Amino acid sequence: MKYLAIPLIALASPALAGSVDIVGNVEAKCVIQTDKSGVYGNPTASTLSTSPSDGGVLPVVRFDVAIADYYTANITHPSSFSSSPALTDSVAWTGSTSVSKTSDAGMSGYDSAKIVYDNTTVFDLTVAGSTWFSTSSTATYAASKPFTGGTYTAVVQAECIAK
Amino acid sequence: MTPAYPKLKPSHVYGVAKVEMSLFNQRQDVKYYQVELFDLGFNSVPFSTTYRIMKVDYKERKDFEVYIRRSDLGNPLYLCTISKVVKPRSSSPLISSRICSKVMEKAK
Repeated sequence: MKYLAIPLIALASPALAGSVDIVGNVEAKCVIQTDKSGVYGNPTASTLSTSPSDGGVLPVVRFDVAIADYYTANITHPSSFSSSPALTDSVAWTGSTSVSKTSDAGMSGYDSAKIVYDNTTVFDLTVAGSTWFSTSSTATYAASKPFTGGTYTAVVQAECIAK
Repeated sequence: MTPAYPKLKPSHVYGVAKVEMSLFNQRQDVKYYQVELFDLGFNSVPFSTTYRIMKVDYKERKDFEVYIRRSDLGNPLYLCTISKVVKPRSSSPLISSRICSKVMEKAK
């Protein structure tokens, strides 16, 4: 019986208890995710628009930054089609980008502080967390001509640039 | 893509530095990413890496090294990964993403 007790004592010894460390590292990083893919509505023959009132869907991108004040978000709305049927005339483009949702109340000033140049809107990501940006895009065919039937694709460029 | 400010390390080639990067794909709609190096004016700068376009599945992490000439490091550079988007079948705006780290002689 005493021989049986020896291994039991050994098993109960704290020297045999294993421990595994979990090490984490929070570093500056930016993650871009597509929250919602956009769709062009076709409210009139000569217009393609992502506006919900025109039957479109606004594309939404989400930016996550782990540490504040390391990145800027630069979002560019389209100024041409990346693919389309053959068009014989020019297309007029308009668009804009704004904050649609935030994870932190401190991001409420992003829209008023944004800088717009050409087709690009720049947001300074001064608060850590998630920000959702929605981009509107409208293409109008010259002289109100009807767009040729087919599939039209344009690209919204979302950039996260280290400062 | 991490780190935001990669550290320059010596490489096995004289006059060439290397940086070690890691890319994590959080976009379900994207599988391919292209590596690019730019100066502060976003003009292309020569560099070398194993794969300029690499396949990274959703929620997958890929580590890679980029080799840069020391002579190009007088000013900071942007090392970027750009998503490669697939042409859709319906009329829609696509979202192309670009994340850029800043490469400097002295990392932040």
